[in-house]
Amino acid sequence: MKLSITHSIASIVAATFMSTAAVASDLVITFDDLNPDKKAAYEAAVEAFKAANPDINVIANNGDREAHKGTIRNALQNDAPDVITWYPGNRMGPFVDAGLFTDISDLWASDPNLADKFNAIKPTMSRDGKQCGVPYSYYQWGVYYRKDIYDKLSLSEPATWDELLGNCDKLKEAGVTPFTIGTKFLWTAAGVFDYLNLRTNGYDVHNDLTAGKIKYTDDRIRATFANWEEMLDRCTFVSTHATMSWQDAIAPFANGDAAMYVMGNFSVGQYKDAGLTDEQIDFFQFPEITPGLPRAEEAPADAFFIPAKAKNVENAKKFLAFVATPEVQGEWNKTIGQLPPNADAEINADDKFIVEGMATLSTAAGLAQFYDRDAPAAMAKEGMQGFQKFMLDPSTLDEVLENLDKVQAEVYK
Amino acid sequence: MSTTAALPMDRFATSTGRVVIAAIVFVVCLIMLKLVTTTGMQDLLGYTQKTQARVPTFLVRMVFLLAAIAAAFFFVTGLSYYKRNKVAVAPWLFLSVGLVLFMIYVIVPIFQSISYSFTRWDGLYDFNGVWTGEWVGFHNYKVLFQDPNFYTSLWNNLLWLVLFMLAVPIGLFIALFLNQTVTGIRIYKSLFFFPFVISQVVVGLIFTWAYNPEFGLLSEVWSWFFCETKTNIVGNLTRVCSPEPPSILGDSTYATYGIIAAGLWPQIAYCMILYLTGLNNISSDQIEAGRLDGAKGWKMLRHVILPQLKPATFIAIVVTVIGALRSFDMIATMTQGGPFGSTNVLAYYMYDQAVGEGVGRYGYGSAIATILFLIMLVYISYFLWRMYQDEVEAR
Repeated sequence: MKLSITHSIASIVAATFMSTAAVASDLVITFDDLNPDKKAAYEAAVEAFKAANPDINVIANNGDREAHKGTIRNALQNDAPDVITWYPGNRMGPFVDAGLFTDISDLWASDPNLADKFNAIKPTMSRDGKQCGVPYSYYQWGVYYRKDIYDKLSLSEPATWDELLGNCDKLKEAGVTPFTIGTKFLWTAAGVFDYLNLRTNGYDVHNDLTAGKIKYTDDRIRATFANWEEMLDRCTFVSTHATMSWQDAIAPFANGDAAMYVMGNFSVGQYKDAGLTDEQIDFFQFPEITPGLPRAEEAPADAFFIPAKAKNVENAKKFLAFVATPEVQGEWNKTIGQLPPNADAEINADDKFIVEGMATLSTAAGLAQFYDRDAPAAMAKEGMQGFQKFMLDPSTLDEVLENLDKVQAEVYK
Repeated sequence: MSTTAALPMDRFATSTGRVVIAAIVFVVCLIMLKLVTTTGMQDLLGYTQKTQARVPTFLVRMVFLLAAIAAAFFFVTGLSYYKRNKVAVAPWLFLSVGLVLFMIYVIVPIFQSISYSFTRWDGLYDFNGVWTGEWVGFHNYKVLFQDPNFYTSLWNNLLWLVLFMLAVPIGLFIALFLNQTVTGIRIYKSLFFFPFVISQVVVGLIFTWAYNPEFGLLSEVWSWFFCETKTNIVGNLTRVCSPEPPSILGDSTYATYGIIAAGLWPQIAYCMILYLTGLNNISSDQIEAGRLDGAKGWKMLRHVILPQLKPATFIAIVVTVIGALRSFDMIATMTQGGPFGSTNVLAYYMYDQAVGEGVGRYGYGSAIATILFLIMLVYISYFLWRMYQDEVEAR
């Protein structure tokens, strides 16, 4: 608030003195990540945009990610910025359906980058055949593990479910908890569920589930939970996971008490901050469960959207086209250690996780967003609570699934 | 004769000039207010195109709103009707600002919220400002009464109300204990009162850390008895416990009790301070009379002290009930309703379903709010009735 007051006063003063430059127009951007590297990448891109467009007066805001999830509703309906960050997939659904995001299919058709280089992610950005946003980054999920522990016990990266379970047995014999996880904020459990379901039933069944076409008590979903129960039994998770955030859960991993972590690539920086080196950690794709199933992956994207109430739509489109260029995409994602959605963008070849991530995603048969973005928010909240309940006490499975069916019938209408 | 008759007449006559000017100013202000909220006016003032219009128009609106209120006051006070009925009207005039705000921000939202509870709505208005919900009758209530989370929340609300009452007797006994003249007693009193001064959020965080099974105070104490330090596979020190330290906030059986215990800490201090002030006002004659009659210890407390503390007890119970119903902040800071919704209370569950994390079931959230409102109504009616009775007695 204070910032915006000073901002406005400054701009009023500026506007009064530079009344000759009446052609100057504004571009208000709202971003939602205050983590140092994310912030730096965003600010660098804004600076580059300013340098390329000196006639546009860019007002760049940034705020906390969790708070943004609450404030965006207000922002879209009242004082809309010209560009705003949000999630693609079903998560953008309510805003698109209410007509609060501008349809930018024309930009996708005319811009050379968007037209050709974003084919992998285009379905995710589309709703009813129209595109509403431009992604600036995405990242792979998978299993991060302690290579030094694996080497000490002469284990190798598991390619199949049985190999994974076998590894877990050996880790437990050596007194190491196989998996760490922190489910206090629920979504981490959804990562495990997504992979188990993608590997047990495949992309289409998973998609149907999150789209509300399959019940949770369906036999196929029960099979997923049976695998999960086996995993809980043989590949134990750290026992105090319900009190830990995903960052807290890094502590046992860094200390060598736990050996594996089902996570997204954004976590690598935190492992290194916790004192681990590239030699100590490595990545493998979540192993195959049902043999012969095409391998689908989790690859959540972050994107920019233009609110329908934006005042400077032309400038906003200019900014989105700018963000779609391979140079900006490459720079941005090098800074934050993630993957550029633009196929032409350069990746950081020195980062083994990025190289492996690119290989993982470019060969995947399908890309899921993430449970809480694929499913509507109300379903996701209940679902993730159910996953946590099941993880704490697998005997509640029937109760959990029946409740999820009830919520599903209520939410999808 | 004629002058004396004219004077009072004059005093009560309508001050036409003032009333007309005030009326004109009032109408102009309303028109301006209407204009300021439309884009045209913003352009006129030259703000929108250059900057974010938010702050300047807000200030302009405030100025016009205040001017309109002032004009309305001048208008009313200029009327002869007002002059004749000053004593009766003046209190309402002063109350009117508060009443209007109370209407806008409390009464109207209550009815809005009740009406939303009959709809399915994700909290959005579309581009044209059209409400996107749909009317579903009693559907939300039907779903609510089959929702296990609802009963969990209701049960937790009850637990809060019952267990939070412990603050009253504990506060009383600490107050009795501290009600003595020893050197430095003020310091001890301040120390006991300290938890009430710090914010609920801070209390929540302190307890969350204390409960943490990895590094918390509780697990630290636990490790003196049940844990040993070993070297793990990569050569780092690690703690192995048998049995494992309790994960209070991570276990649905204990989590609510853990939060209530945290909430009790400041609440006990509050009750204590209420009783301490009450104890200051106890008449020493009655105590001495009691002593002469041979009352001491428990009997003295039960029959002489407690009756005199009745007003303090009433206030202590009232603030404790309110405290128990305001458990929202503690839950939000300590568990966010988890694990798997087992520490929800109705207020938090409502927030969670409607506003929190963009879940956006506004209709359903409103239904929860309505039920909570009905429950509160019972307590509030009792409280108001009690207050009314007291006033009647006092007369």
